[in-house]
Amino acid sequence: MDDDLRGDLISDLPQSIIETILTKLPIKDAIRTSTLSRKWRYKWTTITDLVFNDKCASSYYDRPNSENNLVNFITHLLFLHDGPIHKFALSTSFLQSSPDIDQWLLFLSRKGTKELSIELGEGEWFRAPSCLFMYSKLTHLELVRCELDPPPHFKGFLCLKYLNLQQVLMPPDDIENLISSCPLLESLTLSYFDSLELTLCAPNLKYLSLEGEFLDICLENTPRLATVSVAMYMTDDIAEHFEHSSSCNIDKFLGGVPCLERLVGQIYFTKYLSVGMDRGINRIKYDRLKIVELYQVNFEDLNEVLAVLHVIVSSPNLKELQISGSSNTSAALLASDLGIWEKECSKDYMFDQLKTVKITEVSGILHEMGFIKFLLVHSPVLKEMTIIPSAYVTDGRLNMLVNLVRYRRASAQAEVIFVQEQL
Amino acid sequence: MAEADREIIKPEMMKSYIWLQTSDGSIQQVELEVAMFCPMICKEIHSGMGSSKNYPISLPSRVNPAILSLILDYCRFHQIPGRSNKEMKSFDEKFIRMDTKRLCELTSAADSLKLKPLVDLTSRALARMIEGKTPEEIRDIFHLPDDLTEEEKLEPIKNTIDDPRIRLLNRLYARKRKELKERERLKNVDVEEEHVDDRSVEDLLSFINGRNSDSKGVKTSKNKRKNRTRKDPQRNTSSNSTSSTNVVNVDKEFNGLDLTYHDPSTCDHILSNLGKTLKLLNIEDSFPPDDGFDGDDLDDDIDPAMKEKIDREVEDFARRLNSHWPERMQEILSLGQERRRLPTAFNCNGSFRTYARLDQQQK
Repeated sequence: MDDDLRGDLISDLPQSIIETILTKLPIKDAIRTSTLSRKWRYKWTTITDLVFNDKCASSYYDRPNSENNLVNFITHLLFLHDGPIHKFALSTSFLQSSPDIDQWLLFLSRKGTKELSIELGEGEWFRAPSCLFMYSKLTHLELVRCELDPPPHFKGFLCLKYLNLQQVLMPPDDIENLISSCPLLESLTLSYFDSLELTLCAPNLKYLSLEGEFLDICLENTPRLATVSVAMYMTDDIAEHFEHSSSCNIDKFLGGVPCLERLVGQIYFTKYLSVGMDRGINRIKYDRLKIVELYQVNFEDLNEVLAVLHVIVSSPNLKELQISGSSNTSAALLASDLGIWEKECSKDYMFDQLKTVKITEVSGILHEMGFIKFLLVHSPVLKEMTIIPSAYVTDGRLNMLVNLVRYRRASAQAEVIFVQEQL
Repeated sequence: MAEADREIIKPEMMKSYIWLQTSDGSIQQVELEVAMFCPMICKEIHSGMGSSKNYPISLPSRVNPAILSLILDYCRFHQIPGRSNKEMKSFDEKFIRMDTKRLCELTSAADSLKLKPLVDLTSRALARMIEGKTPEEIRDIFHLPDDLTEEEKLEPIKNTIDDPRIRLLNRLYARKRKELKERERLKNVDVEEEHVDDRSVEDLLSFINGRNSDSKGVKTSKNKRKNRTRKDPQRNTSSNSTSSTNVVNVDKEFNGLDLTYHDPSTCDHILSNLGKTLKLLNIEDSFPPDDGFDGDDLDDDIDPAMKEKIDREVEDFARRLNSHWPERMQEILSLGQERRRLPTAFNCNGSFRTYARLDQQQK
């Protein structure tokens, strides 16, 4: 067929494809297609994913009042839109709390919205209206900088799979209730919460990411958890709480996660784990645990070292290990009990799958070197061990190297890479 | 090496072929693994089709032989397991480099075969072609017809700017085009021109502009719109009081500006005042859509009554622009005193009774 005679190449494609194409465009461009031709006039009005950011309204209006511009843009768009809206994402630094947002949320609650993401500007935090809790089909919820206050009759988001709350003000009990009332929850991210004591009951949870000042974390019912990433900040309150704690944290945290595949701990996480080490721990094997990353481990604290050991020795299939130290002293400590390594596991214990190890921020203190030695002796299939000294330690490096060279290696293929200059 | 290994592993499936038939009737032989990558073909195979030349799998009509070979290339590459992301990405980038027509056909064909990864890839490519381009450029790329009217071409959300000037200018352009079309039409068809009494709106304008009954020169090409004007009087009674005050204010403004009419910025200023005034005069009115109304206008998001006023304004503005300024100025100045002598016997508009009353008061 002659191209010129037929003309139009694209307008007669099935509506589903047109919508796919329009969804891959920034929202401005998608709306602009209504000026292309008769057939395209209303094609954009049925797209189901609406993603707004600060760039949306800026070129339409020349006035400097960006907040109004964005509000007008979104409101008008919602008016012109036709059909269900599955995804609504708003990320803006101009807009703070505004009655318009409440109106949009009410409007969207009737459109079968499944994915909702709202991130507003710094300033007065947006208070989520009660209609938010009527989104019965919600599968993804992401809120940044807002206040959530679930009404008493709220029964939970029954379809929710993904929950991400960052800087959200919520009564502590409500957080736990919210999580446990979402039976299908698979991924949970909580960031920047203050002084939270968290007990998690989420039978389908697979991914967990926590960051903030947590007093306590208890994974009570999370049998399917596969990936855990925790960054715990410290305050005086929390430090005191640790002092007076009477439970064994490793049990509380890692006691119920047999399917764990990846563990990432940062800042004071190992400190948290180390609390209660001496109170007798249940030994579970983490058969699926393949990657362990523990940062800011204080090797001067014996308990923390023991916690790390406990974790890796309980993981027979461990493939990759990354540890970073946090001490910046190069002073050699008093020779404490050097037999701790052998106490934790028998001489014949081998990390049969451990291939990659990376240890950073090494200061050369006793326990650090002991740890490296331990790993080298017990890893028969080790391929690569990378050691990066701490930037603060300049004098002790030669000592470190001298020791390293001496350590026995179980693996003939092991390469020990000492990185001098961190780029 | 890997090729040989694979063949050793599955001897019974060594280079198994199936038969596919495209829309033009031609039949092709294709390796089984490659074809299985398409969900739709996979289904057909499982239901027993395609194993011999006599029972080929009929592909949907959107799949012609050329496109089929492209699709099979894609499948052939992607069905091999163990490809790295980088490899696949690099292949995809090269794969979609083709002319637009082919890309659209490919998208359509991939969709009919339910080959989602390829649909995603081609959709992304098409989206990239649309992103950031002007409508003219996009129409050019995809051979789209330019069949929208001027108003329709205004982007829907951009159009709600509250700036009467932009609206007026847009309407002016639209009006010009329509006038040309009308002239063409009138040449061929005999249209009886209705002499509808439209003085009410006209005179309102004249009053504001400080002119007398010059309005009869207005073109009556939009007959349908005139019919609507009839409905005007009943509804204007509510806004009477506001109207009169505003008219008086505007009047004062115009008086002040008499001497500076040929300054373009002032012209704009007048125009914007006009717009504001007319808006104030007619805000609450909303007319039911007239059956005989032009389809285009219904799509317009400006209130229809407002539209009428703007129509008038635009015509006046156009006339003004086209006429010679010094003459106009004289006219205006001389007619300045005449406006008070407006006859009170206007038959339609309640508001004019008010103006008339006002005049009487001023006398």
